[in-house]
Amino acid sequence: MTGQLRAPRSVLVVATLTVAFLALPVLALLQRAPWSGLVDLLRRREVVDALGVSLLVSMVAAGIVLVLGTPLAWVLARVDVPFRRLVRALVILPMVLPPVVGGTALLFALGRRGLVGQWLERWFDLTLPFTTAGAVVAATFVALPFFVITVEGALRTSGDDLEQVASTLGADPLTVLRRITLPRLLPAMGAGLALAWARALGEFGATITFAGNLPGRTRTLPLATFQALESDPEAAVALSLVLLVVSLAVLLPTRHRWLPTQ
Amino acid sequence: MKDGNSEAMTMVFIAFTLTLVLWLTVFSHDDGPPGIRVLVASSLADVADDLADEWSSTSGLRVELVTGGSNHLAAQVRDGAPVDAFLTADADLFLTADTDLLGEPAIVHELAVNHLMVARPAVGPDREPADLHDPSLVLVACATGVPCGDAAAERFGDLPVDSYESSARAVVTRLTLDEADLGIVYATDVAAHEGLAAAWPQEPACPCVTYAAASLSPSGDPFVAFLGSDRARQILAAHGFDAEPPR
Repeated sequence: MTGQLRAPRSVLVVATLTVAFLALPVLALLQRAPWSGLVDLLRRREVVDALGVSLLVSMVAAGIVLVLGTPLAWVLARVDVPFRRLVRALVILPMVLPPVVGGTALLFALGRRGLVGQWLERWFDLTLPFTTAGAVVAATFVALPFFVITVEGALRTSGDDLEQVASTLGADPLTVLRRITLPRLLPAMGAGLALAWARALGEFGATITFAGNLPGRTRTLPLATFQALESDPEAAVALSLVLLVVSLAVLLPTRHRWLPTQ
Repeated sequence: MKDGNSEAMTMVFIAFTLTLVLWLTVFSHDDGPPGIRVLVASSLADVADDLADEWSSTSGLRVELVTGGSNHLAAQVRDGAPVDAFLTADADLFLTADTDLLGEPAIVHELAVNHLMVARPAVGPDREPADLHDPSLVLVACATGVPCGDAAAERFGDLPVDSYESSARAVVTRLTLDEADLGIVYATDVAAHEGLAAAWPQEPACPCVTYAAASLSPSGDPFVAFLGSDRARQILAAHGFDAEPPR
């Protein structure tokens, strides 16, 4: 891609130290892992339960993110929305907001006595806190922005020339979307979805504040790790390894998005 | 994309500047008189404020209180957090075999006893003991490993709990927000919080929780010694704790 640049030594030193800083915790985790008893640890009820809850919650959340996020990204990129900056800031907010704050806000919005939650309970007998659905809501809240900004960025860089052509040739807007826009957007959607899913999988703060902590229902892998760290550090390391492996599994197939290969 | 980037840069810059200004205004002032740092079980938070005020007014030393679940705090002590004293709801931590875990506390006191109480939101309806086993009601309790959770498990056995919280205080919050129908908390919590009521009339019963205080550094000694005084016991009793003189 580029020619071989001679790197200043000081820059190389800082870059090396930074890599070491990022790699060190992962190495420490591997070093502390109870390898011999790992299989037994991973077969434990609480680990299996947490893995099940985590996979279910993160995958349902990813599905919702896909369905809700795609139209939003398209609107943000292609429609002249009033107050676009404000809308975009709102969309990005859950990304920068501490998750615990997000969870607290969700509680006051969708909790049993929340702004909207009280009507959900009254009309539909639906309460979200302390349910798996609540954990999905928390995960969706924090994961949505990752998908939306990835897809919106892709839409902006690809431009709308082809769409313009299709529509002058007489295609109606929905056909343009279905036949032109979405097919070209698939790689970006995949990458955004992977990011959002990883974020949903790692979600802790909003989940514990909004959805609570119950094995088999709302205790996800991060919650189980936190819980185990206080009573059974070895189990916490084992759970961390599971999360690490799952995260790598997400990162590797999508790596070409982040690591431009020559 | 381009205007989006400069927009984001501006936002980050503004946020950074605001944070810096905030930091300067909050942390630039003098730290005040020297003091000690004390870890406090979350269910002792209110009474610890009063105890610390009382001791500060005579000693002239500041007391910085750090509250949290007892097991979480114990983990911090084991990890070498710089603290002078520790008030725990898990008296066994100091009083039985595992003393070496926390080094050699110079002074250890049994402080008081607290009883569990099944509470409901003050705005909710009265309940009865059978409701504890009603799966349609939202029940929250402390996690096992936390003293209030261990005591509750020992006393009530298997219950259809909907969420295990990290401290008694967290259970109190779920109830005062009316997000839960029933919660297992301490009798002192029910007395201290207007948003809480006893779910049904309950007599103090055990298994219950015994608080203990230990000094973890020489600077902590005078404060922990004060906690054994009659004055300290009066303050504990005023908050509803069962603070008998030491056996």
